[in-house]
Amino acid sequence: MFPSFLAAFLLFIQAPECHPEHSEGSDTLKAAMVSSIYGCIIVPQRITSGELKSASGLSEAVRRFAGVQLRDYGGVGGLKTVNVRSLGSEHTGVFIDGIQVDNAQNMQVDLGRFSLQGLSSVSLFSGQKVAPLQSAKEYSSASSLYLESADPVFKDGKRDNFFLRATGGSFKTGSPSVVWEHLLRGGSKLRLSAEALSSDGRYRFHVKDFRQYPDGTLAGYDTTMIRSNSDITSSRVEAMLFSPASGVASWNIHAYFYGSGRGLPGPVYKKAGEYPLSEDRQTDRDAFLQGKYYRDLGDVWSVAGRAKLSFSHLEYTDYPELVPGGTPASYNYRNHSAYLSATAMARIGSSLKVNLAQDCQYDYLDSDLRAFAYPGRFSSWSCASVIFGKDSFEASASALYLGVRDSFISGNDRSSASRSAFMPSLVFRWKPAERFTLNGFAKRSFRMPTFNDLYYTTVGTKTLDPEDAIQLDLGAVWNLWSEPSNHLTLKVETYWNQLKNKIIAVPTSNQFRWSMYNLGRVEVLGVDLTAEYSRKSGTVEFGLVGRYTFQRSRDKSDKEALTWNGQIPYIPLHSGSVNLYGEHGGWRLDITAFMTGERFTTSANLPAYRIAPWTTLDAALSKNLTIARNGLTLKLCLNNLLDQQYEIVDNYPMPGFNFLLVATLSF
Amino acid sequence: MNRFALLVFSVAALAVAAGCQKDETTSRDADLAGVNVAVGEKGGSFSKLFVLNEGNFQKNNSTLDFLRFSDGNYVSDAFGSMNPAVVQGLGDTGNDLALNDGKLWLVMNGSGYVHVLDAKDETLVASVAVPDPRFIAFDSGHAYVSSYAGAIYGGEEKKGKVFRIDLKTYKIDGEVEVGCQPEGVAVSGGKLYVANSGGYNYIHEDTVSVIDLSSFKVSGSVTTASNLHFMASDGRGAVYVSSYGESTWSQDDAGNWIQSMSEPMGLYSIDGLSSSQVKGVHVSCMTMCSDGYVYAIGNADELTGGYSNMLYKVSVKDGSVTSKAISGTDAAQVGNPYGICVNPDNGDIYITDADYTGPGKVWCFTKDLKKKWVAVAGMLPAHMVIY
Repeated sequence: MFPSFLAAFLLFIQAPECHPEHSEGSDTLKAAMVSSIYGCIIVPQRITSGELKSASGLSEAVRRFAGVQLRDYGGVGGLKTVNVRSLGSEHTGVFIDGIQVDNAQNMQVDLGRFSLQGLSSVSLFSGQKVAPLQSAKEYSSASSLYLESADPVFKDGKRDNFFLRATGGSFKTGSPSVVWEHLLRGGSKLRLSAEALSSDGRYRFHVKDFRQYPDGTLAGYDTTMIRSNSDITSSRVEAMLFSPASGVASWNIHAYFYGSGRGLPGPVYKKAGEYPLSEDRQTDRDAFLQGKYYRDLGDVWSVAGRAKLSFSHLEYTDYPELVPGGTPASYNYRNHSAYLSATAMARIGSSLKVNLAQDCQYDYLDSDLRAFAYPGRFSSWSCASVIFGKDSFEASASALYLGVRDSFISGNDRSSASRSAFMPSLVFRWKPAERFTLNGFAKRSFRMPTFNDLYYTTVGTKTLDPEDAIQLDLGAVWNLWSEPSNHLTLKVETYWNQLKNKIIAVPTSNQFRWSMYNLGRVEVLGVDLTAEYSRKSGTVEFGLVGRYTFQRSRDKSDKEALTWNGQIPYIPLHSGSVNLYGEHGGWRLDITAFMTGERFTTSANLPAYRIAPWTTLDAALSKNLTIARNGLTLKLCLNNLLDQQYEIVDNYPMPGFNFLLVATLSF
Repeated sequence: MNRFALLVFSVAALAVAAGCQKDETTSRDADLAGVNVAVGEKGGSFSKLFVLNEGNFQKNNSTLDFLRFSDGNYVSDAFGSMNPAVVQGLGDTGNDLALNDGKLWLVMNGSGYVHVLDAKDETLVASVAVPDPRFIAFDSGHAYVSSYAGAIYGGEEKKGKVFRIDLKTYKIDGEVEVGCQPEGVAVSGGKLYVANSGGYNYIHEDTVSVIDLSSFKVSGSVTTASNLHFMASDGRGAVYVSSYGESTWSQDDAGNWIQSMSEPMGLYSIDGLSSSQVKGVHVSCMTMCSDGYVYAIGNADELTGGYSNMLYKVSVKDGSVTSKAISGTDAAQVGNPYGICVNPDNGDIYITDADYTGPGKVWCFTKDLKKKWVAVAGMLPAHMVIY
C-alpha cells in the first residue's frame, strides 16, 4: 500500500483520503510517518495535489474549506487567520507535520507566513482528530489545521533534486525560491529550501456609500484610494531531514526560520489630507527546531516522540508619522517555548488500540511594556484514548487532562496561578453500506487564556477561566460513483457548538479602563455541504468541487443588550466556494469562486452595521513542460477576476484584480 | 384682566412657537424618517436634540443623530442622510459637539477635522483640518479648539495647542502652546481656560492654562487638580472644570490589576486665577445648562472600588450641591452613563448610554428621574446639544 500512496503524491493526482482500508490493512509506521493524518477516524476536509498547486497561497487554499471563515486584513502582508465553525481562531490549532505552531501571546497563527511549497496536503479537522500514535496536544484544539510536508522522492536513481522558482506579479511582488533535495548515504533524505519575498503591497480600492431615499433618488460617493504602508519583505529558510525509507524507525527533523518587516496600513478612515493614515511597522523573527520519531516495538507496542524548541520576536512601532525625525514608541515581545511529547500505542487483539500520550510545554514571554508581568507557563497534557475498529465500525473515546501553571511578576514578587481542564471526546464512523458512511463526534475542549488576556499591563485579568467549547457533530458521506473515471461524493455535516466563558474586553466601573472578562457566550448551529465530482476519460480529467456552509451563530451573552440573539460579528449565515478544474496534456485550469453572504460588524444586526455580501472569482492556469529531462511548470494566477471591491474585516479593503506568475524549474 | 392678558399672550406665544415649528418642518431634514420613540414629546422651545456618537476607534463610524421634538422621531445618521456625497461621512471619533450661532460644530478627533454644520438641516458648511482636535469653545469672532498636536502615548512628552478658527472664513488664524494633552476649553471674561490632562505623561498635569483672548497668549496658569477634563463657562465670569483624579495601580493577591483612586474625581470652579473644589461632586460626565446649574453624573464609591452613580446638580449662583442616588430610580437602567444634557425648559435629563459591544442608547428622564423614552443610538453616543 505504501508505494502507491507515495506515488500518488508524486504524480500529483488526487491522493486517496484516509479510508478505513488504509488504517486496517497497512497500519504500519511508514504510512503513519508519511502523513500524520493517516489512519484517522474522521475524514478531514483535505486539499491535495492539483487543487493545492493551483492555489495562490495557503490562506487562499484554506478558505475553500466548508465551515471556515478566513479573517484577512488584506494585501500581501495582512494578517490571515482561520476561524472554524465560529469558535474563534484561538480554538483552531495549526499543526506542521503534527506539531503545533504556538503563540502563547495571543494564539493567533498568521497563515500568511507559511508557504505551500513542499507541502503535500492541507487538511482541516473540524472536530476531533483521532489517529494512531497521536500526541496529547493534538487532542486539545476544538479544530485543527494540518500542513503536511511532502516526503522527497528521487526518481531514476537520482540523488539530487533541484527546484528553482520565480514568482512575480501585482503589488510589485517578487519572490525567488530554491529547494535542494538530496539523498544521503544510508537513505536519509535532506531538503533545504529558501524563499524571499518583497512586495510594496500598494493597491487601489474604492470607498463608496450610496443611499436610497424614499422618493427613489440615489445619492452617495464612490472614490478611489490607494492602500499604502502595506509593504513587506520577508525571508524563509528551512531544512528538513527525513529518515530512510527502510529501517525500524521513522523520523524527521525540521528547522525553520522566518524573518519579516512590514508596514501596518491600519484601517481606512477619514483623515485630514496632510496626515497619513498609519506608518506603523512590525518586524518579526520566528524560528523553530522540531522533530518526531516513530518506532515499532514488536507486534503490540509502537512508540512516538516529538520535540520542539521555538522562539519568536515581534516588534511594533507605533505612530512614527506623528514624530517625524523623532523616536517613535516601540514595543518588543519575545516568546520562547519548549515542547516534549511521548506517545505509546498498544494493539490489543485485532480490533482494539490504546493510545497513551504525555506532552509538556514551557512558554515564556518577555516584553518591554511598562510594568510587564514576564509570564511563564508550564503546561502538561495527559491523554488516554481507546480506538476500536471492527468491520465497518470504528470508534474512539479519549480523555485529555490539561494542567497549566503560570508564574508572573506581581508587584515585586513572582506569583503563580494554576488552571486545569478535562476534555473528553467521542468519535465514531460507521459504514452501513458499501458507499455510505456515517460519522460523528462529541467533544468538549477548553482554550486557555492567552498571555495578553491575562497579563497585558492594566488590561489583562489574571483570574480568567478558560473558554469552554462544546461541539456535537453528525455527518454522512455518500460515494454515489466511485470509479476513477467517474467519481461523485456528497458530504453533509451538521453541528451544534456552544462557546461559554468567551473572553472579551469590557470597560470596568471606570470607563477609561478596560479589562478582560469571561462574559461571552455563543451558540452555533451549522450545516456544511460538500459535493465533489470528477471525470476522467483518456488524458482529459475535469472536476467540480462545491462547498456550502450555513452557520447560525447567535450571541447569547447578555439578555438585556441589543446584541442578544444576533448573528455574531463577521460570521455570514451563508457562505461557500466552487472549484472547477480541467486537466489535459500537462495543462491545468482552475476556476474558483468564493461567496460570502451578508455579515455584521456587531451582534446588534442593524442595517448600519451590515457588511455587504461579496463574490470573488479566481482563475489559475498552469502548464507542465519537459525540456531536456528537466521539468518546467508555468502557472498564472488571476485573482479577483471581477475586480470585486470587498472587505473581510471592516475598514480593511481587500485588493481588486491581481495576478501572479510562477515559473518552477525542476531538475 | 391680568390673567386674561396672560392667556392671550400665552396663546400668541404658542402660535409663534407653532409657527417656528412649522418653519422647522419645512427644513430639508423634515423628510428624514426615524423611529418614533417619544409619542407626545414636547421639547418646549426646542426643536431637536442632537446626539453625536463617538464611534469606535479607527472604525470611521461616528454619526450624528437627532430627536425631533415635533413628532418624537429619533433619526439616526442625519449627517450621512443630508450629506450623502461627503466622502467617508463625518469620520472617526467625534469628541465634542457644540452649538454656536445656529451652527453645529463637530470635533472629529480621529479624523483631524472640525466640521461646521447648519443646525437647521445638518448640511455641511465647512470642514477645518485641525490635528488631534479635542474640545471646542467660542467667543464672538472665533472658535477655539484644543489639540494634542501630535503627542503619542508611550512617546516623548509633547505640549498640546489651542487652534483659533475665524468664524467668518472657517480658517485657522492662530495657535498657542498650552500644557500636555489639553481637553476641555471654555471662554469667560475675555479669557480662554484650557484644562490640561497630561494623560500620556507618567505624571499627569494639574493646571488650567489661561489665555488672554485679545493677545492670544498664555497669560497665566491655575493649579487645580490632576488629570483635568471637562470644562464649562457659567456665563457669570467663572468656569467649572472636572478632574478624573488620580489613581494608583496595584495588584491583589491573585495578581489582578486594581485601580484605586488616590485623589477622587472632582469638580472645581475657577474664578480669575484661583480654583476651589465643589465638595462632594464626582464627575464622569457633566453639562452646563442655561438654567443655571451644572449637571454631572459620577461615582461616589470610586475610592473603595464601588460603582453606584449619583446625579449632581450644582448651582452656579451659590455653589450649592444637590445630589441624588441613581440606583432605585428609572435611570438605574442606564448601563454606562457616558454623556448628559438637560432641557432648560422642562428640566428633562438626557443621558447617553454607551455599550461597548454594540450600539448605545439615549435615555430621557424627567427631573425626578422617571423614564420618558429611550432610543437606540449609534456607537458610543456621548455628546448632546439641544437646539
